[in-house]
Amino acid sequence: MKYFLRKLGMLAFTLFVSISINFFIPRLMPGDPARALLDKMEGLPPEQIESVRAAFGLDTGDSLLVQYGKYLGNTLRGDLGVSFSRFPMPVTQVLRIAIPWTIGLLALCMVISFALGTAIGIAAAWKRETRLASFSVGLFSFIRSFPYFWLGLIFIYFFAFRLRLFPIGGAYAVTETRGSAAWWLSVLRHGTLPALTICVSSIGGWMLMMRNNMINVLAEDYITVALAKGLPLRRVKALYAAKNAILPSVTGFAMSLGFVVGGGLLTEMVFSYPGVGYMLYQAVNAKDYPLMQAIFLFIAAAVLVANFIADIAVMILDPRVRDGAA
Amino acid sequence: MIKDFFLTLVRNRKSLAGLCILAFFVFVAAFAPLLAPHPAKADRVVTTKLVKAETGDPETVAEGEASDVREVETYRVTTVREYEKTTDYFPLKAKPGKGHPLGTNHAGQDLFSQLVWGTRVSVSVGLATGLFVTLLSLTLALVAGYAGGILDDIISFFTNVFLVIPGLPLIIVIAAYVAMKGVLPIVLILGLTGWPYPTRLLRAQVLTLKSRDFVRVSRSLGERPSFVIFREILPNMISIVMAEFFASSMAAIMGEASLEFIGLGNVTVVSWGTILYWAQANGALLSGAWWWFLPPGLCIALLGTAFVLVNFGIDEISNPRLRKR
Amino acid sequence: MGSVPTLELRDLRAGYSTKKGFVRAVDGVSFRLERGEFLGIAGESGCGKSTLAYAVMRLLRDNARIESGQVLFNGTDVAAMPEAGVNALRWTGMAMVFQSAMSALNPVLSVGEQLTDAVLAHRNATKAEAEAMAVEMLGLVDINADRLRGYPHQLSGGMKQRVMIAMALILKPDLLIMDEPTTALDVVVQRSIIEKIDELRRALGFSVVFITHDLSLLVEISDSLAIMYAGKICEYGRSRALFDEPLHPYTEGLMGSFPTLTGPVVRMGGIEGRAPDLLSPPPGCRFAPRCARAFEGCGREDPALRDIGGGRLCACRLREPGREGGRR
Ligand SMILES: Nc1ncnc2c1ncn2[C@@H]1O[C@H](COP(=O)(O)OP(=O)(O)OP(=O)(O)O)[C@@H](O)[C@H]1O
Ligand SMILES: [Mg+2]
Repeated sequence: MKYFLRKLGMLAFTLFVSISINFFIPRLMPGDPARALLDKMEGLPPEQIESVRAAFGLDTGDSLLVQYGKYLGNTLRGDLGVSFSRFPMPVTQVLRIAIPWTIGLLALCMVISFALGTAIGIAAAWKRETRLASFSVGLFSFIRSFPYFWLGLIFIYFFAFRLRLFPIGGAYAVTETRGSAAWWLSVLRHGTLPALTICVSSIGGWMLMMRNNMINVLAEDYITVALAKGLPLRRVKALYAAKNAILPSVTGFAMSLGFVVGGGLLTEMVFSYPGVGYMLYQAVNAKDYPLMQAIFLFIAAAVLVANFIADIAVMILDPRVRDGAA
Repeated sequence: MIKDFFLTLVRNRKSLAGLCILAFFVFVAAFAPLLAPHPAKADRVVTTKLVKAETGDPETVAEGEASDVREVETYRVTTVREYEKTTDYFPLKAKPGKGHPLGTNHAGQDLFSQLVWGTRVSVSVGLATGLFVTLLSLTLALVAGYAGGILDDIISFFTNVFLVIPGLPLIIVIAAYVAMKGVLPIVLILGLTGWPYPTRLLRAQVLTLKSRDFVRVSRSLGERPSFVIFREILPNMISIVMAEFFASSMAAIMGEASLEFIGLGNVTVVSWGTILYWAQANGALLSGAWWWFLPPGLCIALLGTAFVLVNFGIDEISNPRLRKR
Repeated sequence: MGSVPTLELRDLRAGYSTKKGFVRAVDGVSFRLERGEFLGIAGESGCGKSTLAYAVMRLLRDNARIESGQVLFNGTDVAAMPEAGVNALRWTGMAMVFQSAMSALNPVLSVGEQLTDAVLAHRNATKAEAEAMAVEMLGLVDINADRLRGYPHQLSGGMKQRVMIAMALILKPDLLIMDEPTTALDVVVQRSIIEKIDELRRALGFSVVFITHDLSLLVEISDSLAIMYAGKICEYGRSRALFDEPLHPYTEGLMGSFPTLTGPVVRMGGIEGRAPDLLSPPPGCRFAPRCARAFEGCGREDPALRDIGGGRLCACRLREPGREGGRR
């Protein structure tokens, strides 16, 4: 319980830090810090400036502290300002269009690739002397050093452009009625290549991590004991080796999450997949600062919550953590 | 000590392979001017050739007055030199062929030369950022791990906080605010967002070493902290520090390429990332110009693999369990 | 004794292949262990005791293997059995308590799960029956039944070791191998555990191979003793007799009765020098370089383990017939 509360406190604090970073970024930039954001709004209609100013607490008369307070209040109420590029839509509303796509693509792929990578890692460590194991270690290390977005480009080139198996970009066929079976099919077809990109490039990391942990665990005495007990190998592998090896893997998952999410965002950009990553790309190009910052905040919050979930998973899996021993 | 470390690295097959690839790219970066057939942004070759250089016939200008003893004649000699200046514009978006082994881009610049010159930027940004991150995190780790107490609590707490805040979106937002003028902002941004992970690992190592007997003994004998840190702790951290350096460099090369690919770098600088940016911006993909976007990515991947291989070697050296028998 | 012994080793060789060559940690070991007998094996660190134990259980993994020889358990050769047969024999026929109690229990499974999983794997028992057996075994080693739901990290070192013993005995094996089960524990706990083993042995009737580097632990309890040096047994006999009159200079050293010429390197038992590298053991008698009583022939000829009479075996040229040192 103490562990749970500590992790919950950590979640709250990291969220707070992210929100604060979001506030200070425009103000810490070279030049007149407090006005950095306002300057970017030059030439916009006054009512637009007004709404952004209110949301960001940029009332020029206020001190930084008052601005910060107002900003915090607004953020907590979910008011993140108005998008420049899609005026007068509030950024939260703009964001809401993109979120389902990202959750559907990124979250799903990450779960799949973590599960798959972990399974392959277990197998590769269990049979580490075999050719196949060493080959897959080599292969995955090589694939892992590809930049995500580049792998995406290659996939588009071969599978979409050359072989014409999949669409080149987007998330669904605009010609179909939303919600129809054909539309869902098109969603699948559009999602395949981005999903493949994310999975292929992230599986390697999980796999290598799990393999290393597993090799370390296999050298532990309790594995020898399990073998000495004549337990079925399946049980030794699952409950003695893998269950112990996955603990550092889950922690590692939490720490690498940010990195993989970053890769996912780039993948969306390459495939013009209408999730938050592509939206971030558009926001950058359109210099839509409120939208950009809202996206950062959303991604940060999502990653932090996922991290928290991983911590809880560790708590469930590891009795030592449950007792607050570690 | 560092020499010993490199000797063991060279003896391990994986890290040797990695070091060779790395050395190759460093070599290309260093000798880019010699290796690249053209300057990075040249879109034409200008050649000037002397085509005619003849001395004309002497021409009598005036004949002096004749007298019995003297004859005066004045000549003018004109020299004609004719030059021919040829400007060969490179073809735009050319396929690989003679003269342009990797074709040309939308502006008619030679892609092979760009790749060679780009190596310079990418490798130096990678290594510089790697060095920056390593030094930063090593300092933090030593301070936190060695000093302990409240200082350690503060540093580790913030390390843990920043560890979980996703880096790339943060980098993108910061980069969008900063007007990128060169590679320095990229190094700074990547460096300032890349420190938490290595700091955490290094700090753990410092703590382990601090509890070792030989360090405990020196400390109880009242050795100066600088002695303990630089003579006893650091030398035993070489392999982990190097591993962090290589890992950070790899992350930096990827990060740089990503930023530039999105167009957040300085797109007028020629690097692997910007080549990809221009390739994407000009639809290289959908015109089938694989020679445009394939090579830079392969270079990044190859360099990344080099770092991974070196670290595999380091892992095997420091963790006997991973060693193959 | 005409009956089939519980365990009989015949010229067992085992070791580890390394980059530098084969480390033969067990080199031609033979002995018999009768039903209900308590055999102590003693020797310095690194002399191959654990390797021997692992070889008997066929637990040598990765770079380790049995080279040659036989491990006859109740008359059948374990070394030549297919893996499935060995697996069926493990824990039902022979069980083992490991050197490191601290790390021998799986930290993420409850004590109960770890006690019962061997039962469930080898017997047609229900979960409840298995738990009842576990509770009974825990009772034998004086551990409260409510620990069943607990996890290893909640136990003290001595408790962990007792849980390991309960675990090893849960299927009532014929043979219990104990590899330095008490090294990590304090003296009082050591005693109590050894006495517990002896008590259980008398009650349940299994044979014990007890490995240690501390001979004094075995004085009262073991029936016979084997002294190992550098992969070989150098002396074997009934424990009382061996204690009263050690025949091999190494045994004397181990028991501390060796005249100590205190040098800078004083190893356990007061023997000077270090144990030989098993990668390339010295020629002749392996103990010769450290032996104060070595004479010129010792460095050339490897003395065989020979019967000296009275159930005693010794591998030392001093004990060869006709030598001045020979007593019988
Ligand atoms: N995995 C291995 N690879 C190579 N050599 C090994 C390996 N494990 C053990 N050895 C060597 O085999 C020899 C015997 O080791 P073993 O563990 O059997 O000794 P031991 O008598 O049990 O010692 P201790 O009392 O310290 O437990 C040692 O010299 C050791 O160096
Ligand atoms: Mg041992």
